[in-house]
Amino acid sequence: MSIRFEKLSYTYSSGTPFAYAALKDVDLEIEEGKVTAIIGKTGSGKTTLVQHLNALLLPTAGKLEILGRTISAQQKPEHLKSLRKDVGLVFQFPEYQLFEETILKDIAFGPKNFGASEEEAVRRAREVIKVVGLDETMLERSPLDLSGGQKRRVAIAGILAMDPQVLVLDEPTAGLDPQGAQSMMQLFMNLNKQMNKTVLIVTHDMEHVLNYCDNVVVVDHGEILQKTSVHEFFRKTDLLKQLNILPPAIIRTREMLNQRGFHLSEDIMDIPSLAKEILREVKLK
Amino acid sequence: MKQLEVKNLSFSYDEATHAVRHVSFAIEKGSYTTIIGHNGSGKSTIAKLLIGLLEKDEGEILIDNLPLNEENLMEIRSRVGIVFQNPDNQFIGSTVRDDIAFGLENHCVAQEKMDAIITEFAEKVNMTDYLESEPTRLSGGQKQRVAIAGVLAMAPEMIIFDESTSMLDPQGKDEINRVIRQLHAETQLTIISITHDIEEVAKSDHVLVMDQGEIKMEGTPEEILLRDKELIRLHLDIPFSIKLQQQLKKNGLTMKPEITIEGLVNQLCQFDLKN
Repeated sequence: MSIRFEKLSYTYSSGTPFAYAALKDVDLEIEEGKVTAIIGKTGSGKTTLVQHLNALLLPTAGKLEILGRTISAQQKPEHLKSLRKDVGLVFQFPEYQLFEETILKDIAFGPKNFGASEEEAVRRAREVIKVVGLDETMLERSPLDLSGGQKRRVAIAGILAMDPQVLVLDEPTAGLDPQGAQSMMQLFMNLNKQMNKTVLIVTHDMEHVLNYCDNVVVVDHGEILQKTSVHEFFRKTDLLKQLNILPPAIIRTREMLNQRGFHLSEDIMDIPSLAKEILREVKLK
Repeated sequence: MKQLEVKNLSFSYDEATHAVRHVSFAIEKGSYTTIIGHNGSGKSTIAKLLIGLLEKDEGEILIDNLPLNEENLMEIRSRVGIVFQNPDNQFIGSTVRDDIAFGLENHCVAQEKMDAIITEFAEKVNMTDYLESEPTRLSGGQKQRVAIAGVLAMAPEMIIFDESTSMLDPQGKDEINRVIRQLHAETQLTIISITHDIEEVAKSDHVLVMDQGEIKMEGTPEEILLRDKELIRLHLDIPFSIKLQQQLKKNGLTMKPEITIEGLVNQLCQFDLKN
């Protein structure tokens, strides 16, 4: 099974002088069980694209098939509520949306909203707080006392508490320090590898795309410019240059050396193989 | 000549935890200093102490030999500007023009002089086309550029950038970094940049590393960035060039340490290639 966009278009303020076509005839297939990066410039349509996944936006034309449901211009999906539970969408800077008195209440809000009993919701909260790397003893504290990175984990825990099958994250590491960002990405990897969640990440960070994702979708001016495996994507840098995206450090190093006479393979994507190939080419004195 | 001297500075938000502990350092006029450290290490607290947004518990802050105290606060604020992290939290005016004018009005700059000043600094950050635009129509990078213009209009001697690019997309980051570098090259401005960007650190003059409210290392980018084991222990990133050199060393190739990719590539290109 996969998530399929078919000729999907979305126009903001449709039928008014301010109409703006954010997505145009998008055909796209996203495999379940994988980690897919959605990249593109600010304003390219990335966020509009992912907001269709839980029917937060309904297409102006075309349709989307996800988890056995169809979302189209004419029909709201049946069981909209269960779709919202199965597709967890984490917005940019989700920590601004924490609102309850305690972390426990904040995390339990989602499952309760979807019909879980108080007891069940609390049980889920106790489980997921550990999944996001925070301590159970924090549950009674106010979410406002936490650091930015911790708040974001609580917000993500609130989504995980609903046990979604698909997890969509809009720039989940923006504004975090490098180590906070890395452990956040590691968390999503665990959710993918151990709990088999389908993960979609909207990101600008090419190091994260290279190190953590399976596939890349490039959105540009409301269209899908490319969908490919991460490995294939970083073999050539022409498209990256055309899109004005700075490649990951390892790819930049590989390209710079090749421009100056080295013949390093385009398949090199990690430090050990880069070091090995460099040594194969230089004559040591 | 010293722009800033900090002596034995301490501050705590509550009694249990000291956000800044016995910190001393000095910054030369016209230099570009970067401050690194993981979240919660005390970097932003220092920035707020330096512009008198927080009041120190202990120690001394001298700006141009002028001590920061209640009496001198307004004088010091006119010499030190700050640009914060979140572009949405520091836009005050209803248009770009009003926003740049805000600080000038506070400093009682005459109306007839204001227009010229606004145009001059909007030009410096490349925002002249947007003077009548509302903030909602601007990107994060554009908002931060307006914030910089607002600070520049006050003619400060020193500007503190407190992770001013960390919430921006790559294009916004690029715009701001370019503006900062250009300002630093063209004027005598002293720059302090609190950052997580190792490539920015590598290009600065002077680096301070903070952990648990203390300065744990201080020196030139080379002196700091080559101490990889300590950086990792402080949960900080090390330059890619160092990571690659460590791997090359494991495989038998030892080279002069380089903190930038360009430096490493140049060195590798000194070797003869086997066909």
